[in-house]
Amino acid sequence: MNILIYILKRILQTIPLLILVSLISFFIIRLSPVDPLAELKLNPSISKETLQKETQRLGLDKPIYVQYFLWAKAFVQGDLGVCSTGESVAAKLKERIPNTLLLTVIVIFLTWIIGVPLGILAAIRWKTPLDRMLTVLTSIGMAIPSFFFAILLLIFAVKTGWFPVGGLTSYNFNDMNLAAKIWDLTRHLVLPTTVLFTISLAGLQRQMRANLLDVLESDYVKFARAKGLSEFKVIYKHALRNAINPMITMLGFEFASLLSGAALTEYVFQYPGLGRLVLEAVLKSDINLVMASLMMGAVMLIAGNLIADILLIITDPRIRVKGG
Amino acid sequence: MKKIWYVALIFILVLIALKIFINADIPELEVKNTLGGNLTSKEVKFPPKAKTVTIDGVDYLQSQAQVGRFGGVLVASTIGEGPKTFNPFNTKDATSATMAEMMFDGLVSSRPDTGEVIPKLAKNFEISPDGKTYTFHLRHGIKWSDGKPITADDVVFSWNKILLAGLGNTSTRDSVIIEGQLPKVEKVDDYTVKFTTIKPFAPFLRILGAPIAPKHVFEPAVKKGAKYFDSFWSTTTPPKNFVTSGAFKLKEYVPAQRIVFERNPNYYEINLKNEKLPYLDKIIYLIVGDLNNEILKFEAGEIDTIGLRGSNVGRYKKKEAKSDYTIYNIGPDTGTMFVAINLNSRKDAQGKYYVNPKKQAWFNDKNFRYAIDLALDRQNMVNNIANGLASPLFTSESLNSIYLNKKLTKGHPKDINKAKYYLKKSGFYWKNKVLYDKKGNRVEFDLYTNAGNTEREAIGVMVKQDLEDLGMKVNFKPVEFNSLVNKLVNSLDWDLVIMGLTGSPLEPHNGQNVWYSTGSLHLFNQRPDGKPTKRLPWEVQLDKIIDEASLKITFQDRKKLYDQYQQIIYDEKPIIYLYSPTRVTAIRKKFGNIFPSPLAGVAYNLDEIFIK
Repeated sequence: MNILIYILKRILQTIPLLILVSLISFFIIRLSPVDPLAELKLNPSISKETLQKETQRLGLDKPIYVQYFLWAKAFVQGDLGVCSTGESVAAKLKERIPNTLLLTVIVIFLTWIIGVPLGILAAIRWKTPLDRMLTVLTSIGMAIPSFFFAILLLIFAVKTGWFPVGGLTSYNFNDMNLAAKIWDLTRHLVLPTTVLFTISLAGLQRQMRANLLDVLESDYVKFARAKGLSEFKVIYKHALRNAINPMITMLGFEFASLLSGAALTEYVFQYPGLGRLVLEAVLKSDINLVMASLMMGAVMLIAGNLIADILLIITDPRIRVKGG
Repeated sequence: MKKIWYVALIFILVLIALKIFINADIPELEVKNTLGGNLTSKEVKFPPKAKTVTIDGVDYLQSQAQVGRFGGVLVASTIGEGPKTFNPFNTKDATSATMAEMMFDGLVSSRPDTGEVIPKLAKNFEISPDGKTYTFHLRHGIKWSDGKPITADDVVFSWNKILLAGLGNTSTRDSVIIEGQLPKVEKVDDYTVKFTTIKPFAPFLRILGAPIAPKHVFEPAVKKGAKYFDSFWSTTTPPKNFVTSGAFKLKEYVPAQRIVFERNPNYYEINLKNEKLPYLDKIIYLIVGDLNNEILKFEAGEIDTIGLRGSNVGRYKKKEAKSDYTIYNIGPDTGTMFVAINLNSRKDAQGKYYVNPKKQAWFNDKNFRYAIDLALDRQNMVNNIANGLASPLFTSESLNSIYLNKKLTKGHPKDINKAKYYLKKSGFYWKNKVLYDKKGNRVEFDLYTNAGNTEREAIGVMVKQDLEDLGMKVNFKPVEFNSLVNKLVNSLDWDLVIMGLTGSPLEPHNGQNVWYSTGSLHLFNQRPDGKPTKRLPWEVQLDKIIDEASLKITFQDRKKLYDQYQQIIYDEKPIIYLYSPTRVTAIRKKFGNIFPSPLAGVAYNLDEIFIK
């Protein structure tokens, strides 16, 4: 029961936060000197009348605060509006979200399934050559800028011809049978996944290692060892459970990055995901589209934190006691 | 000590990796300088003009090009976000227009070699002796992609209910308003349409190349009003709903990835063996985000044709001999790079001058503009910025225009002494190599361009250097594209700007938005209210020439006027032209019926191209 009230409270708290986020982002975008019609204005074949029509259609002839209220009113009613090309924003987001999710879910799955065990391994084998090697590798992973790594891999793809150069599907994708489709998707996903995986793996592995090392130093582990428990039991039954808490918080952040975490890599690989869409929208000051994605980002971050907190309450009796 | 070895090891690994990647990617400089000569392609032999052939009562268009093989795919690319609409009447950007025009033919089109207007969807046409009435005879028996016949009703509907009614992009409508009147479009019979303008209007014939819509599909949409029409046939419309007249029709659009066109089985063009064109099964446009990605895709063999620029040409030329592509130099393109000078002497709504009066005096001084023109080293820019792949430009019409004033193309070299002579003539003087005007003001102004465009930024640096040789102080300020447009179109508070625009090689009248005194892009003397006030004497002259030239019908009459117009701009120099880039395109050797043309490019005749 307490948990439910807690969740409700948290949800209510997000409302003013969202209003604030929307206000700030809306005004920053609109007050920036970006003119959504700049391209048209410099096109000698576009007449004045067409320009006027466009200005009216995009609502640019109204004062900013009116524009904001119009947007907010529609948003509250669940209408994300239309983007500057006249298509519905919701439809545009809908066609990109699955692509981005496909990439990020695979990456998160891989990093967690590989990163956490590697972290544990490194902590147990602390200061052995294995630990050192992992440290060097993860340092490289953390240090390499994602776009640079992505470009290197693209050049690799061009030189070897083993992988397609960016994109998600080949042009004849729709004429393929299922097996060929899966193979095609896999070939396209390998490189972007490698980039994102390398980079987030490093952070996760270091975090897990540090947590476990912390715990391994603590008194109750020493006590458990002194009691004569097997090393396996000490680590997996006592130490690991306590080391996992910060990881749950991290998982909450990972949830937030599901939709927005891969923008740079998406751009370099020409991956048809949200990142590229939003970047192009920002450059054109396509207000409805940008606002929708910013709000989505904010909601995902809040939701991710909420989920992490709830998970913590479930896994950690100490928090439960304090909260109760 | 051990650590050092680790570091050294990693360092060596990185070096090896870099070496592998960079190897063979650095172009040799000597290649670049000889390019101009090497690239000039062999004389292209264009096929004769397509004929109309009647078989079983159907008036087919017969291509006279070599007979090819059927089947295959051509993969091209488009940079940016892809099309915004597939409705040919709504397009406002180049990509959307290309995609929509693939699917729709107009009554007429242009010959790729001479630019002559030739019938396309129409069988033939006559222009009355007074130049006001155009009678078009349509082809009998040709069909839309859904099998319905293409008739005069479609033409009349497209013009009267869409183009002239102001739906979608109204630019076509705005360009055919003559003395406040729209042309009249009437149906004579099922296969004859008559267009009447109140005065002879030369650009009209080419404008008649506008797409024709299928009435049975568009009529319901038109009835639902302008707002509905704006989103009609958008990118979310299922491709099977499209009914088209062009050689290809949309098969699939995958946002941010590709656009796939398939052959239209009802297309009305045949080859010399009377087989129905087009040859290719599919045309695919991959949507790529930027130039770099496009180049990678071409190198990986994912796309078949690519426009090349700058340093890439050198690299590709070197590899050409061993590769599966041919590089074509199509000559100067329609793009023009220029420096515009703000001659505006108006005040804004608050009573403040757009341009500081002291600067106004300089900019409105013809001698000052001459000095700037003479100080600029165009050849240097061509060699160093465009890698030799450009031609110095002195005219407002691009070098491939059929109306180019050939007397002016040679121009003049950089001549700093002559420049100084003109400045002295207007009372400018130097003190310690610093230039002052006759009132003792230091000559200092801003030079803008859009940041991020490396070519224009490089030009800016060179222009600044050249002008500083004259003792002027130039503050070169690359600003964000949108801010720049805002300055040029709204706030008008700029001094000099480096810009580029694309024109039409066939129709100089399209430049009227720039050159007409009330034009929306009359950069150098923009009138925010659009009223022809305070016209400079030569602006009056230009207005008159533009009006007159549009009312003349024969090429010779118009050429005379447009020669004069280029001469005036050359003499007055409100815009100082720098160079026109050369268009270089690579396409894989496997394609047949490739006839590169300076007017149309390389892969324009998609209906005739086949795979050898």
